[in-house]
Amino acid sequence: MRLRLFPFLAAISIALAAAPAWTARRPRYGGTLRVEIGAIVNSLDPAIAAANPDEAAAKEQIDSLLYDHRDPDGRFTGGAGSGPFLISEWQPGKRLTLGANEDYSGGRAFVDSIDIQMGRTAADRLVALELDTADFAEIAPDEARNAAERGVRVSISKPDELIALVFVPGRPATQDARVREAISRSIDRSSIVNFILQKQGEPAGGLLPQWSSGTAFLFSTASDVITAKEISRQISSTTRIVVGYDLADTLEKAIAERIAVDAHEAGMSLTVEPMTGAPEKVDAQLVRLRMPSPSPRESLARFAAMLDRLAGLEATPIPDDAPVEQLYEAERSIVGSYRVVPLVWVPEVYGLSTRVKDWTTPQAGRAWPFADVWLEQRQQ
Amino acid sequence: MTFRTKLFVIFTLALVVSIGLVAVGVTTGARRAFNQLNTLHSEAFVAQFEREFQRSRQDVVHKVQGIADAEGTVRMAIDLSRPQADVSLYVNDAHGVAESHQLDFLDFVSSDGSIISSTEWPARFGYKMTWVTQPQNWAVVGSFLIKVDTQNGPALGVMAVSTVRVGDKNLYVVGGQRLGKDFLSTLVLPDGMRALLYQNLSPQFDAANLIDQTGPVFQGERFANFITQEQQHPAEQLFKISWTRDRASGEVFHALPLLGRQKELLGVLLVGSSQSQVVTLERQIRMLALEVVALGLLFGALMSWWGAARVTEPVQKLAEGARAVSEGNWNTRVDVRGPHEIAELGRSFNRMTQQLAEQRERLLQAERVAAWREVARRLAHELKNPLFPLQTTVENLQRAKEHHPEEFDEVFRESTSILLSEIQSLKDIINRFSDFSKMPQPELGTVNVNDIVRSAVKLFEPQFAALGRPPVTPELHLDDELPAIQGDGALLRRAIENLILNALDAMPAGGVLMLRTTQDDHDVHLEVSDTGTGLTAEECERLFTPYYTTKQHGTGLGLAIVQSIVSDHGGRIWVESEPGVGTSFHILLPVKASADGIPAPAAPQAPAVVETEKV
Repeated sequence: MRLRLFPFLAAISIALAAAPAWTARRPRYGGTLRVEIGAIVNSLDPAIAAANPDEAAAKEQIDSLLYDHRDPDGRFTGGAGSGPFLISEWQPGKRLTLGANEDYSGGRAFVDSIDIQMGRTAADRLVALELDTADFAEIAPDEARNAAERGVRVSISKPDELIALVFVPGRPATQDARVREAISRSIDRSSIVNFILQKQGEPAGGLLPQWSSGTAFLFSTASDVITAKEISRQISSTTRIVVGYDLADTLEKAIAERIAVDAHEAGMSLTVEPMTGAPEKVDAQLVRLRMPSPSPRESLARFAAMLDRLAGLEATPIPDDAPVEQLYEAERSIVGSYRVVPLVWVPEVYGLSTRVKDWTTPQAGRAWPFADVWLEQRQQ
Repeated sequence: MTFRTKLFVIFTLALVVSIGLVAVGVTTGARRAFNQLNTLHSEAFVAQFEREFQRSRQDVVHKVQGIADAEGTVRMAIDLSRPQADVSLYVNDAHGVAESHQLDFLDFVSSDGSIISSTEWPARFGYKMTWVTQPQNWAVVGSFLIKVDTQNGPALGVMAVSTVRVGDKNLYVVGGQRLGKDFLSTLVLPDGMRALLYQNLSPQFDAANLIDQTGPVFQGERFANFITQEQQHPAEQLFKISWTRDRASGEVFHALPLLGRQKELLGVLLVGSSQSQVVTLERQIRMLALEVVALGLLFGALMSWWGAARVTEPVQKLAEGARAVSEGNWNTRVDVRGPHEIAELGRSFNRMTQQLAEQRERLLQAERVAAWREVARRLAHELKNPLFPLQTTVENLQRAKEHHPEEFDEVFRESTSILLSEIQSLKDIINRFSDFSKMPQPELGTVNVNDIVRSAVKLFEPQFAALGRPPVTPELHLDDELPAIQGDGALLRRAIENLILNALDAMPAGGVLMLRTTQDDHDVHLEVSDTGTGLTAEECERLFTPYYTTKQHGTGLGLAIVQSIVSDHGGRIWVESEPGVGTSFHILLPVKASADGIPAPAAPQAPAVVETEKV
């Protein structure tokens, strides 16, 4: 059962309404939170699987507003209508309007409703934030600095999404571990963070971020072009290696191209190709691994399971009570095979309008706290 | 071939040769003119390319300078000149600036040569572009051709560099335009021409690097040899490629090497001129020439025929006249009018035939007189012999009556006997002349010459072995395969008998009489030879003349009769003789009769020895 303190705080705030210094911060009921997201959710039925990771993530966020409880396996339960909001209007793939659930056990949300527009491009979302026609929108990490420079209120989470290069098992071009090692060593992760991510994120040497595992500093993130060149000379392979990326993901595209440049400088031939489905024609692919929770064990277990499927690893099962050392060993075992090359940690970046109050940046794996924010009423 | 036909052929050939020479001359001249025109077009296009290229280079310089002078660039330079400057802020700037300035390539390069932002290879930030930082006055260098590394591989670019200096640090603006199919599409090409660009991006020829304004060139590998030559020795050259066996598919290329700053070969511009139009025009001209030739030939043939007819008509009349004269029509005249030489020839011909007719008439008169004289001489000679004994006998009777009446009876008996004998001689003479004058026409039938020969020889067998004279040995060499001929058996037997009789007279001391029959093409050849005294050449010439004889008591009609019989059978007779050796008479008789019933004339045959023919 989730405890909601804001209704009480609101009552206190109302009681202190006479005090001018507190007026601006006093929670108020009412208003519609205007949300714009890039994903397109076609169904809210929990039994219907999402078509892509973006839809799955958005659907998970919407479910967190509609359902009261989330099971350990990640599914929301408690029955429809048990969450802080109820569905008011639903246009599949386009728009979802949620109304505050007056009977929510945790207390009524401050906002009266949430209007979610789907399928909005990153540029449209940024413009909407600038024009103050949206209260909340996702922003690509590499656009965070630009958005901030344009006056948008930006909320950045801890880096909780790993972008990694995963070699597809069974490909002759990358069957030799030295080829994978040379590519891994040639990658300049700092440049990716500084230039492509515009300093939003961290170079990744391991599978878990430093803030989560505390051991990330043990994995090297520096590029070693000299060793990469040396290995490249030794293997003297002329085979062209193809790296795939998600066609709709401009960040992945930029990172893939940078990997190609770095490999080229190390004397290897590497090209990039967009993927629309299964990695049938590529030797390696860029993947995004979002931490399911701040817990290193839980995240590593989830990553290991995913990488087992993507890279053909036979990762060691990670027990629930595994100590930090064991997690580190498991992490090192996976990374040491060079079948998975961690690249960067990317944070979640959100744009907020200035009337959104009491926004708390969600932790990794946590839902957007729309039930906890309130909207400042502005005079026309 | 008639004279008219020959004249016609000559006229026509002369016409064909003349028109052909004109057609060849026109075609050759047209081809030369078209080739010159093509060369001019090609040169004009190369000049246009050079102007466009120069304009493009200046355009690039201006644009790059414009970017360098822009406020944003200056601010970037100022910002980057600060210690701890954040370069990442500008990593995406090149793309927008390049688009706004319509440049294909744009790089912002820091003072140490690191790429800050790149259009052609956005992910290459941070890497060095060292050649930019080399000491160089880029303002003086202007634009240049260079191989540009892009994320899609190397490309050719017309580039320029501009420097923004802030303090002791430079910000290099490196921009340019791709020299590729877009640039080729800006060139205005006349019909039948195209521009290709080989981008010399690899050491060996690569057909994928040969492009036109739409992309890689079809059958680009056909250019391998010429591009390889350019790679080894960059220079302008002309070459031709025939895409198919059709000459119209040929294309002449003008290759222009494109060099970089270090005079290295970076590209080759190929200006192609299709031969299609030229060949099509040539073919049209040739077709027109052929039509003109055909019409000319038709017209020429008609004119030649008319001209030849006009020229040869009087000649033909003259020829017909001459043929008529040769056939004995001495009164033939030709009707050739006009003032020219042929008419004069006709008039001369008419005069000649008139004179010939007059002379022939005179000759016939002379011959008739000579014949009568000969007849008279022969008659006088023949009659003189019996007349003399008659006269003597009558005088003896007169003398006996007057001086010896007692012996008159006896003298009378003897004299009358002599008179009767001589009168009989006169009658014989008269009969022979009568027989010659009454030579009958042959009655043709199928006869075998061998049978006639055997029959005739059998008749003379008693005389061959007659007492009181040396024997004559007959030898028969008769061809058993000898075909039957159309002839009169009685007349032919008479002719052979005359020849045998003649041979017996020629062999008073005996000898061999040889008769031989052989088949000679379509004739039957009969040879009658003796080993007698032989004849002189003069005798041979006159042998068949009527009343000519070499014998003391001959009438000179025997061989004339033989010749007459042979001639009536369409055959011919000739004699070969050598004094002291013998004489051979040869007769050729045709096997088949001619249309008029008379056997066809025997073909002339050259004798093996000296031949003396009848006159």
